Amino acid sequence: MNRVTAHHEVPAPAPQAPKPAGGAPGKTQGSFGDMLKQAVTEINRLQNNADQAITNVQLGRSGSIHEAMIALEKADLSFRAMMQVRNKILEAYQEVMRMQV
Amino acid sequence: MDFITSFDICSSGLSAQRKKMDVIVSNLANASTIQTPEGGPYKRKVAVLAAEPVRGKFGAALQEALSEVKVTEIIEDGEGLKKVHDPTHPNADEQGFVTYPNVNVVAEMADMITANRAYEACVTALDASKNMVLKALDIGK
Repeated sequence: MNRVTAHHEVPAPAPQAPKPAGGAPGKTQGSFGDMLKQAVTEINRLQNNADQAITNVQLGRSGSIHEAMIALEKADLSFRAMMQVRNKILEAYQEVMRMQV
Repeated sequence: MDFITSFDICSSGLSAQRKKMDVIVSNLANASTIQTPEGGPYKRKVAVLAAEPVRGKFGAALQEALSEVKVTEIIEDGEGLKKVHDPTHPNADEQGFVTYPNVNVVAEMADMITANRAYEACVTALDASKNMVLKALDIGK
């Protein structure tokens, strides 16, 4: 029952969403480049975490094997996601460069 | 990235089961220990698991729906210590009884299998969730 009400609450924030955009017309929250940079920073952080986790396990300092493996999986998946974004961007770029003028 | 939420919950489950396993192994190893630093025989330990809400990672409306698991404390079970009549034993009391731990090896083995299976279940859930992400990345290929 709780879950059902929770589901109904989900769309509630939607009417609020356009408000900030309407408040500052033409000025969006950061550019695509900024967003990409942020994503790359986050992926880099996950890679460093994975490095640290596996080093700690190998040196017997702290942490468990499963934590290191999960950190590696997180790094792997986020990197794959980034690669997909990069592929799409390159595809679009090449498509534009092939355009006959 | 949203897949990290399920990874973190799986991680908490795996850690909890590892700790439970440590406690079980300690019980098994000390199944016939009659001397401890605090005096008396070893007493069976039990790990207490508690749910802990996941914060700041899920939609605000559904935040209470998710919880991680955590070992909050290790309690000592002092019930059912076994008294064995053995007057020649150096640790025997005046009546000639030696107190042995209340560890039931068969029950500990059953607990061990439970912890093992729960760990496997968490790993399977993690793999399934990883496969979902990988499938999502295949969209449009």
